[in-house]
Amino acid sequence: MPGIYTNVKLGTLLFHVYKADYNMKLNSWYLSSFLISFVVLIPIITVFTSFFENTSNYYEILKNTFLIEYILNSITLLVSVLILTFIFGIGTAYLVSFYKFPGSNFFKWALILSFAVPPYIYAYSLTAFFENYGTAFTILKNLFGDANYNKDIPKFDGMLGAILSISFSLFAYVYILARASFLYQSQNLIDLGKNLGFSKIKSFYKIILPAARPAIVAGLSLVAMETLAEFGAVDFFSINTLTTGIYNSWIYFDDLAFANRISFLLLLFIFSLFILENLSRRKAKYHLNSKGGFKQKEKIKLFGVQAFLAFMFCFIIFFISFLFPLSQMLYWTIKFPENLLDLDIVNLLLNTVYLVTISSFVLLLFSLISNYGNRVSKNKILNFLSTLSISGYAIPGVILAIAFITFIAWFDNSIIKALGLTSIKKIFIGSIFGLVLVYFIRFYSLAFNGIKSGYEKINISVDESAYLLGYSKRKTFTNIHIPFLRNSLIFIIILISLEIIRELPITLILRPFNFETFATTAYISASEDLLEAAAVPSLFLILIASIFIIMTSKYILREKNE
Amino acid sequence: MNNFFEVKDVDFSVGGKTKVRNVSFSIENEGDVICLLGPSGIGKTTILRTIAGLEKLDKGMIELKGKILSSEKINIEPENRNISLAFQENSLFPHYTVKENIFLGAERNKNKKDHKVSFEELIDLLNISNILNKFPHEISAGEAQRASLTRSLVTQPDLLLLDEPLSNVDQSFKEEIQEKLKKILKNSKITTIIVTHDSYEAFYLGSKCGIILNQELKQFDDPYNVYHLPNSIEVVNFLNRGTLIPAEVTSPKSLENKDLGTITGNFIKPFPIGSKVSLLVQPEDLHHDDKSSLKFEVVDRKFRGTNFIYTLKTPNNTLIPVFVHSHHIHQHELDEKFGIKRPIHIDHIVCF
Repeated sequence: MPGIYTNVKLGTLLFHVYKADYNMKLNSWYLSSFLISFVVLIPIITVFTSFFENTSNYYEILKNTFLIEYILNSITLLVSVLILTFIFGIGTAYLVSFYKFPGSNFFKWALILSFAVPPYIYAYSLTAFFENYGTAFTILKNLFGDANYNKDIPKFDGMLGAILSISFSLFAYVYILARASFLYQSQNLIDLGKNLGFSKIKSFYKIILPAARPAIVAGLSLVAMETLAEFGAVDFFSINTLTTGIYNSWIYFDDLAFANRISFLLLLFIFSLFILENLSRRKAKYHLNSKGGFKQKEKIKLFGVQAFLAFMFCFIIFFISFLFPLSQMLYWTIKFPENLLDLDIVNLLLNTVYLVTISSFVLLLFSLISNYGNRVSKNKILNFLSTLSISGYAIPGVILAIAFITFIAWFDNSIIKALGLTSIKKIFIGSIFGLVLVYFIRFYSLAFNGIKSGYEKINISVDESAYLLGYSKRKTFTNIHIPFLRNSLIFIIILISLEIIRELPITLILRPFNFETFATTAYISASEDLLEAAAVPSLFLILIASIFIIMTSKYILREKNE
Repeated sequence: MNNFFEVKDVDFSVGGKTKVRNVSFSIENEGDVICLLGPSGIGKTTILRTIAGLEKLDKGMIELKGKILSSEKINIEPENRNISLAFQENSLFPHYTVKENIFLGAERNKNKKDHKVSFEELIDLLNISNILNKFPHEISAGEAQRASLTRSLVTQPDLLLLDEPLSNVDQSFKEEIQEKLKKILKNSKITTIIVTHDSYEAFYLGSKCGIILNQELKQFDDPYNVYHLPNSIEVVNFLNRGTLIPAEVTSPKSLENKDLGTITGNFIKPFPIGSKVSLLVQPEDLHHDDKSSLKFEVVDRKFRGTNFIYTLKTPNNTLIPVFVHSHHIHQHELDEKFGIKRPIHIDHIVCF
């Protein structure tokens, strides 16, 4: 009698939830928070339960042939990207944090513009430039006349292309976190190194790097999670990884159970990274909050060759990560203007605005409710559920979308059909509603954590003062919290917009028929080998994302202990 | 006649952990001020938070004006109690100026006709006119505390709770604010419970004082009695009022100590003759006399402005404090002999 057993278990759980906190009252805030956390957890539960379901023969075939290749490719990609992002991220962060050289103030924020170029668009640019008769060929031909340059131009495709695309797109995670950590390192610590007679290099290895380790690990963990989740670039370069394996088993073999089985393996891997990242972040927070250690460092001014080398290092990274793909896409847009005319830009823009507006509204609304519910109820189990539910950001979009389809299919077949109701598949799959719901799960942590960090600045005694002044909980929320959180909310909206504009796999799998975004249009053109056509939506995507990044850079790169 | 405010057999807890057990006390009349005194972390703030409705109680009952606020079954929400709590830490709304914060407090009882104390009067008394247009992050901790106090006072609560109201106020300014606070509370007739760890503040502001120690309300009495007639060794130790020395009761009006000899006086509590007791010797009980034959070695001397407190060591290694006016003609150095006037007479003999 599994049903009865489940009900008893659920009842016991709810009872414990109620009894766990003496102060808890079963109010609407609490119920909302509980439900939100539960909805976000659904895909995770689906993946884990699907692991035990039967799969098609594809699994048996694949287990003996491609699965090892998927795993090996994923590991190769992961390790290579981690090494490159470490070098790019730490190198640039160290230079702009500790030294003053021509352009250092510009690079400080310009380096994060690489976020505007998703790995798949970087991949298109890389291919467009280095392919036979590509942009590099044209440049050489214009400079030196006709010749067969194709054999001399290096080819960055396959695994190497994927590694470079992902690394240049994601190194900014390491850059931002390492820079923040370098910035808050105590001057005393560095002075101590000087006092002990350490050279600059020795100070870097012995003091600066170890002190920033938690932040660096956190940055690298984010890179690792994004790399394992990466779909567009690896698919473009036809690299078989676990993520593309999930997509292929669903698209080509129609085997959801197998897709979920690979998802399970990938999730285990990602969750260990997630835990590592969380542990590191906790330490990083401790590190940043230490009292008395912060003192604005005097940046060392570089001259001559040293200044030139520092400038060149930052410029090359900035150029390759941002200017290069931007120029490539701009060049093709100008070279093939007919693509610009063919594209219904207004429609794409409206679709994007539509998705961004609805998603932001839903995410903010529910994150506010959930955060406030947590604050009011002070319930440990609810807190734990919230922590679990924000893990959505660690789950690759492909897994989320497929787990969502699996869940809806199961729910439709087992519950809706049994009740004799009309199928609900169309409401959730291939609809804006379903798409926004999965965006919600994917980006919930972004909104939840953003509001949470805003809330952390409001002492709980502020709420209590409001109650004692006669404010109800609702009035405290609308009159005290919302005005205080206004800046955080604006910041979160921008971040959500940025993520949705760049998002590919979820939109690709769950969007309604004929509903396109810049990302899906670029992907479809590129997958049809029409890279020139992919350039226009890619260019628009980069430009819009850049605007959002510039708008948020003030928050991301704040220098003082605000 | 019913008490204005009453706490009956309450266990005060926070997060499921009991901080103070079985507490009972009352405030008889509207406008009375009482103080709760105890070391840090003992649960004083928990008591205030529970009275305010921010924590719930497992056992007992809290009543205000004859109405039950909290019991095992009843719990009136904080916003419906008309009780104001001024927190120890800065609890001003961060996105409003000090003035706006105070007005938010005034909003609560804007329809009340009999305003016990005016906004302007409070601004002036608490000396916050220069920070009215500043935001909470632009003012000092002491200023924030005074602003928060003003906000609480303008709400015209039935009961005002002040949690260490002057802990962040500069020492030089503290006495002045204490005087002003006392005046405001007296004029406004706002019934108040003040929590503090400063015994002098409690004795000055409160008409009654409660001493909380070891999870219990040890004594609830007027300040004079708490100070001079502590009812337990724990209260003596907490108030740091003197030393307990062994003695034997020799008559209804005397006892004997090996070092001090015969001590006469009035027992607070009778003991049978022959009882072995601990006698409380407070600094003001013994008097300096250079001509006395009863001399002990000075092991410490504390300058307290108007007086010195000498610590003397007896042949039995007991340390006894003695109060001497700082203008006293003959001051002693460490290791010197210090004479005690005989016969020794203590008005209130406190023994345990």
